[in-house]
Amino acid sequence: MHHAHIDKFAYLDSPIHRLDARVKLVATVVFTVFVLLLPRQGVSVLLCYAIWPFALLVLGNVPIRFVLRHILIVSPFIAVLALAMPFYSQAPVSIAFGPFAWTTTSGWLRCAAIMGKFFVTMALLIALVSTTRFADLLAAMEKMGMPAVLVMQLGFLYRYIFVLIDRAHHMLRARAGRRLRYLGPKRELATAGAMVGSLLMHSIDTAGRVNIAMEARGFDGQFRTIRRMKMAGRDLIFAAIFVFVILLLHTVIRPAMR
Amino acid sequence: MANELLSVPVAAGTIFIAGGGLAAVCRKAKQTLTNEKLPLMGVLGAFVFAAQMVNFQLPLMPGTSGHMVGAVLLAIVLGPHAGAIVMSSIVIIQCLVFQDGGLLALGCNIINMALVPTYIGYYVFRLFSGDGLGRGGMYTGSIVACVVAMEAGALLVPIEAAVSGVLLVPFTTFLYTMLGVHLLVGLIEGVVTAFVLEYLRDVRPQILTGGLAGEGRMSTIAVYVTLLISALILGAGLSLVASSNPDGLEWSYKERPDQPQFRPAVGNDSQVVAAADRLQDRFAPMPDYSVRASEHAETEVGGDRTGGPWAGWTSFAGVFGSLLTMAVVWGIARMLRHRPASRVPA
Amino acid sequence: MSLVDIQDFSYSYADGIDALKGINLKVRQGERVAFIGPNGAGKSTLLLAIGGFVSGHGRVTIGGMEYSRSNTKAIRCILGGVMQDPDDQLFMPTVFEDVAFGPLNMGMNENDVRTAVESALMQVGLANMSDRPPHHLSAGQKRAAAIATILAMSPRIITMDEPDSNLDPRSRRNLIELLKGLTQTLLIATCNMAFAAAVCRRAVLIDNGQIIADGAVGDVMGRADLMDAHGLEVPSNLNTPAEGTA
Repeated sequence: MHHAHIDKFAYLDSPIHRLDARVKLVATVVFTVFVLLLPRQGVSVLLCYAIWPFALLVLGNVPIRFVLRHILIVSPFIAVLALAMPFYSQAPVSIAFGPFAWTTTSGWLRCAAIMGKFFVTMALLIALVSTTRFADLLAAMEKMGMPAVLVMQLGFLYRYIFVLIDRAHHMLRARAGRRLRYLGPKRELATAGAMVGSLLMHSIDTAGRVNIAMEARGFDGQFRTIRRMKMAGRDLIFAAIFVFVILLLHTVIRPAMR
Repeated sequence: MANELLSVPVAAGTIFIAGGGLAAVCRKAKQTLTNEKLPLMGVLGAFVFAAQMVNFQLPLMPGTSGHMVGAVLLAIVLGPHAGAIVMSSIVIIQCLVFQDGGLLALGCNIINMALVPTYIGYYVFRLFSGDGLGRGGMYTGSIVACVVAMEAGALLVPIEAAVSGVLLVPFTTFLYTMLGVHLLVGLIEGVVTAFVLEYLRDVRPQILTGGLAGEGRMSTIAVYVTLLISALILGAGLSLVASSNPDGLEWSYKERPDQPQFRPAVGNDSQVVAAADRLQDRFAPMPDYSVRASEHAETEVGGDRTGGPWAGWTSFAGVFGSLLTMAVVWGIARMLRHRPASRVPA
Repeated sequence: MSLVDIQDFSYSYADGIDALKGINLKVRQGERVAFIGPNGAGKSTLLLAIGGFVSGHGRVTIGGMEYSRSNTKAIRCILGGVMQDPDDQLFMPTVFEDVAFGPLNMGMNENDVRTAVESALMQVGLANMSDRPPHHLSAGQKRAAAIATILAMSPRIITMDEPDSNLDPRSRRNLIELLKGLTQTLLIATCNMAFAAAVCRRAVLIDNGQIIADGAVGDVMGRADLMDAHGLEVPSNLNTPAEGTA
């Protein structure tokens, strides 16, 4: 199963992996908010904020190169929009950076700031997801009030995505092996349609069998779960460190770097 | 939709709306869901994911490929409530497992891709097809429903971006691009949806009766208009209310009492800025403070304006210090990793 | 008294094709029965009928109870079915939750559920995989996990649909050992004669929806003419009888 990239890191062990999923989730959201609160043109301050996700990744045994590559892969949408900025804001800006000084436009600065924020928030999200098993994340969200129907749905979806993506991959490979040239819009659509139809039938039949499996094990519409999530001492320590770091960044470092 | 294109109040507002909407949908769904629907919802969600991988070259745009979104299909097959739940789960998984979309943008993404298109698409389809699945009604219904649903979702993105004010692309440009692209997407999706529905009707008709049965006749126009207006008003309104409190948020919006003669250096030529300014002027409790004013105050990073020869060095120090800290963290992590192995019994 | 009693059961598909015709079958407690036959013979359908998922004509009585609205849940507590594709049976995000699904639905309390899950996983050799998601498991492990989901419910009867498909030789050997160690009544549909001979004492040959032969494994599978006529073959391990009960 090749798609379990992020998944496989979640099953390693490290001090970060052992933290409670709820604490990590809340910390991720809060930190993201504070990153978004940074000024629209602040660039170098982002590196200070980047220390936090960097630390989580490194302590969590997640390879940084993998993270950077992954961020690049998901960046096209925002990169395109960010790169549009210099066209629309040409107000000149002079920058002093240590012994260097040069001029650029505010558009470029904002572009750099957006991309920088994107990198930091993405790195943080990847840190969360690669150090926390999805089932634990789901349990955290359930404990924090997510409706049972949605929790069940997310569980099923997660479970069957890999099954279906694999099937789609096999089909795509089969198509690649036999389709030697562009077939014209009608044939292309028809082929795609046939593949989609076949996938759909397979899904519906699978759902029918899963339904049998659920009924055979006594399912009656009530979702029952037992997951014990207990806060340990290390979670409180983590929370304390996090609060300290956020306060430091927001009240000391951010104003200092204006 | 990414985090960084949103301002915090818009993100918060949309998350709030999306959360409330989803909770309501889940409550409604529980009343109508049968046990067999549950695995079907999960598997169909996975199907939509997998189907999105089956791309085909768009007929009019060589080199680009298009793929299905699936919101309207899900709504028709499963009913709007279950369909919305499935699309929401897809959006959430896209964010958490594939990092396609930011955490704080989840509110927007759920509204744009899960809540709005499913309901609008469903009711528009019903309008054309009635309760049956006659061929003509099914095809026109699918196409119109998909186009309207896609456009509704596409419409919200520039609005959310404009109200946030982070993006400088002019509102009209962004809007027209989104609407244009999604018109094409909607047409194709409509055709594909119709094909799929026909296929299902021939091979597994029992799947379809579940979704379309039992919904009362609602005034479609009312639903459509209400949804759009609510999203607009709540999104814009919340961000205005929030930003009228400068201490909580962007320091850059704060008045500059130390420079009383400060005025916006140059009127930014962006229309979105002008529009946002007008909105602010009309609704903000403090009409003389403009969103864009302080953008031009902050034209320098590392601040020549704060004066002094050391100004540029704070950012230098910051960068240098950060890199140093990271190196230290790296070293600590390496040590922690190796320690258990190197512990030798005495 | 028979644990499983099927009397003159028939079932046709929606398009009119007969899937099962006049099935008469009695299985006693502790027996290990192999349903053998060519593809499409109706073995899977018969298992579904025993599981109460197919409504046809005739009677299916499990543990003295016939399927009805009030009985079905009680029957499902004593009858567990392992399906052909473990992916259909492992639908929760982790193995633990999958194995716990049955016991939780039976109304057991948390501690009992945990005990049941742990002992079932230990029995199939997956004790250290409980936190894994099913898609991280190999085919053999998935099969074992699917069996564990049923074992945790402590059923008296276990049906299995082609349990040895997609297994490599080592996994198949492990499965055989596991099955030989079970005390439950087993009803196993399989296309693999050697597997059937290794695990079961009784064989029921099914073809075209009907029971052709029903007897000791050696008697039924030892007849080359019978095996040939129904697209099967005499297995090489007939002379080493299956151990264990009945």
